[in-house]
Amino acid sequence: MKKIIAVVVMAFVTVALQAQFSKATLQASGLTCAMCSKAVKVALENVPFVQEVKVNIKSQEYTIMFKENNNADFDALKKAVEDAGFSVASLKVTGNFSGVNVQKDKHLQLDGKNFHFISSSDKVLNGEQTIRIVDKDFLSAKDYKKYSAATKMECIKTGKAGDCCVKDGMHSEERVYHVII
Amino acid sequence: MKNLRILILSLVFAFSAIAVNAQGPIPNIEDYRLDFTVVGMKGDSIKLSSLKGKVFLLDFWASWCAPCRYANKYLVKFYNKYKDKGFEILSVSLDDEKNAWKKAVAKDKITWMQGFDKGGWDSFAAMKWQVDALPSSFLINKNGDVVGINLEKDDLEKKIKELLELK
Repeated sequence: MKKIIAVVVMAFVTVALQAQFSKATLQASGLTCAMCSKAVKVALENVPFVQEVKVNIKSQEYTIMFKENNNADFDALKKAVEDAGFSVASLKVTGNFSGVNVQKDKHLQLDGKNFHFISSSDKVLNGEQTIRIVDKDFLSAKDYKKYSAATKMECIKTGKAGDCCVKDGMHSEERVYHVII
Repeated sequence: MKNLRILILSLVFAFSAIAVNAQGPIPNIEDYRLDFTVVGMKGDSIKLSSLKGKVFLLDFWASWCAPCRYANKYLVKFYNKYKDKGFEILSVSLDDEKNAWKKAVAKDKITWMQGFDKGGWDSFAAMKWQVDALPSSFLINKNGDVVGINLEKDDLEKKIKELLELK
């Protein structure tokens, strides 16, 4: 019986999600050589939904594999890097999408999180897709400036829905990830 | 599984914390918890404890680690200056690729013992020695005791001279 319920619940979850995130690639930066310290890797490994962290020296990236059926909290990845004494220079997350309708400057909910696709033309996302988070402190100050100029909406500055997005049925305190594809 | 690993790690950490503490026993390369074997440049194997009797530096590095490459510059000088007096170096690379390691060894003109230990931070030797940043180095006396950790340039040379009983 339990099994049946689990299967039914999972089927619903899969339909409702439209996207399940499975991994991320992250670049860290700091005043000292980030790759020369084990701290970032250890910090990322200690994030609850993280299954495994691989270091790729050539691309200076950490590949972060998520646990199955995770509820990936991207802010937790950023916090881990910052607690280790570094900052995030780039965070790209990869997920499996099924018929996700992306519109420029529109918010949509995926995997229990709010996303705001900036500077994207309208399209439908299917299969494995990688998106980059461009919220403040998820990239260099210079890159942030570039991407934040792409939308006039206030939420890019705070990462919260704020007044501008309440019309989409969101609370003003809700987290919105700003992403590009 | 992860819990088990954490448990083992904390045990190892607790032990080495005791070992490094000045009041506790001094870590020695003959201790099975610290001994390891790495692959040398010619595919030979190098066992750490076989170096007992020499004053030597155990140096963890990688070709991609800029501060390590900087340190190599003065290590080359020290090695050439003191090798005839009994000083030795064993470098252990945490590189992922053997070619990158070999290229860096050639470029930095390293002639001392070089070992390769695949696995990066999770490599056997790095785990045993609790290496959490590069470069990391341990100066060992003739008894095999660790007598200096992460000594830099001038402090390192001073200590090498002291251990070799040079004026």
